[in-house]
Amino acid sequence: MTPSVLASAMRVFDLSLGQMLWSRRSVFLGLLLGGPVVLALALRILSSMYGLPINGAQPEGATIFGMMVWLLYIRFIVPILGVFYGTALIADEVEDKTITYLFTRPIPRSAVLLGKYLAYLACTVLLVLPSVMLVFFLIVPTGGSSVAAAFPSLLADFAMLMIGLASYGAVFALVGTRLKRPLVVGLVYAFGWEPAVLLFPGYLKRLTVMYYLQALVTHDMPQDSAVSMVLQLFREVPAIPTSLVSLAVIIAVTLWGAGRAVEQREYVLEQ
Amino acid sequence: MTSIVAADHLSKWYGQVIGLNDVSVTVPPGITGLLGPNGAGKSTFMKLITGQLKPSKGAITVLGEPIWGNPALYHRIGFCPEQDSFYERMTGLEWVAALVRLNGVADQAAAAMAARAIETVELADAANKKIGAYSKGMRQRIKLAQAFAHDPELLILDEPLAGMDPIARRRTIRLIKDWGRAGKSIVVSSHILHEIESMTANILLINQGRILAEGNVHQIRELIDEHPHTVHIKADRTRALAREFLAHDDVLSLRLEEGAVVVQTGRPDAFYARLTDLAASGEHGAIHEVTSPDDNLQAVFQYLVKS
Repeated sequence: MTPSVLASAMRVFDLSLGQMLWSRRSVFLGLLLGGPVVLALALRILSSMYGLPINGAQPEGATIFGMMVWLLYIRFIVPILGVFYGTALIADEVEDKTITYLFTRPIPRSAVLLGKYLAYLACTVLLVLPSVMLVFFLIVPTGGSSVAAAFPSLLADFAMLMIGLASYGAVFALVGTRLKRPLVVGLVYAFGWEPAVLLFPGYLKRLTVMYYLQALVTHDMPQDSAVSMVLQLFREVPAIPTSLVSLAVIIAVTLWGAGRAVEQREYVLEQ
Repeated sequence: MTSIVAADHLSKWYGQVIGLNDVSVTVPPGITGLLGPNGAGKSTFMKLITGQLKPSKGAITVLGEPIWGNPALYHRIGFCPEQDSFYERMTGLEWVAALVRLNGVADQAAAAMAARAIETVELADAANKKIGAYSKGMRQRIKLAQAFAHDPELLILDEPLAGMDPIARRRTIRLIKDWGRAGKSIVVSSHILHEIESMTANILLINQGRILAEGNVHQIRELIDEHPHTVHIKADRTRALAREFLAHDDVLSLRLEEGAVVVQTGRPDAFYARLTDLAASGEHGAIHEVTSPDDNLQAVFQYLVKS
């Protein structure tokens, strides 16, 4: 009897997590996630020496933290992790020629994809959350914010980041299993298509992950320029339940599509 | 059961390139050797019978069932692929146990089965070393261990002896024959005639995507002696080995390369027997790896196709 997809996926997860955590890609991820921490440390030092006036006012640490989470993590790091890991879930095994060992075991091929997706999620969450936490503790105390008061918003940010990683990972898993040159397609989608369509009114933005993610942002963004005021006019944000349901549907549909692709595709390894 | 593998007008092509062309064949229980030079369609056939590829035309059944899209069948099959690819950071024991777990075996039982398989291939001492630190021969043996650790009915072994030293090669041949005697069915591929012949008399000859002959092929045995066989030997003391080889009249030519000696012999059986004894005695230092280019077999096939 073939084990269930979920039971098989958990075994693939066990096998893959260690490989993923110690991969070259994770070193790159570590460097990427060190960036915001270094920036936060620099801001903390500057703040203690000179203060951090923006337009003549001293912003609260919690506001700066919110901006960093949105601009650095959600808009940049989470999509880039999704692209690099998501498109490579199966491709890495094919390139390393180890896919044969997984595809000649009594488990559905879609379980291999699901197990590797779960390993991606665990790996990125384990690395992203400590970075966010460090930034939180470095930045929030500046400008007189209370760490205790801001802590619930940190938990909300954690949840938002996990949902973001899950959504982008699933979308790019589909891209990786269905398309040629998935990395290029993924980067164009994340850093070309999404930012572009979010700028304009209309329905196209509903075809982005970011549109739904922005509804989960708990921080108020400062309106410090005319451009941001104008952009705010066009900013259409769905309700939180709508966003959560939409993201869940995106994850389910794209993972299903990726699983189907893996089930049907022949992987010819180069000799 | 009458056949282990049955192919019915099986074809496989990659775009415009034909990998396998209208093959109809049945593989009986026991040990069957699949013999063919590189590019003959051997790898395509192995990939089709292990369900990695889907037939372009025709049908293939393994143990009486279609294999493509039928993961349950892998409970009964063990596969040792040709490629030298591993999760290098895992130890041999971790890797084999993790793969056995994919068969639905509980953690402890999987570890015990993996340990037993590793002991069978005589790698127990290196079980807790990372695979990245293994020699080529050890990597071949750990690959073999993952194939049979879950005790399958059918073993499919793609070039299992490639890169092994003479002693490991002899032990592995003995192991394969023992499995055959224990009632398991084995399909083993190689491009080296005498290797296959030492395991079984039941041979499938494949070339240019077609099965040329099947069954007990005596003619091949005769052809072995007519075509010189090249052997590439990596060893510590190549000059001493070369001197030893030249003392025997079956050695037709010999040349030294960096860390290796390349020999052409007219009687591969006698040569390999002597080589194994030399490796076991350690008289001329360690012998690390023995390989044979497929031009030996290519020459025989050219002869067969012409005649």
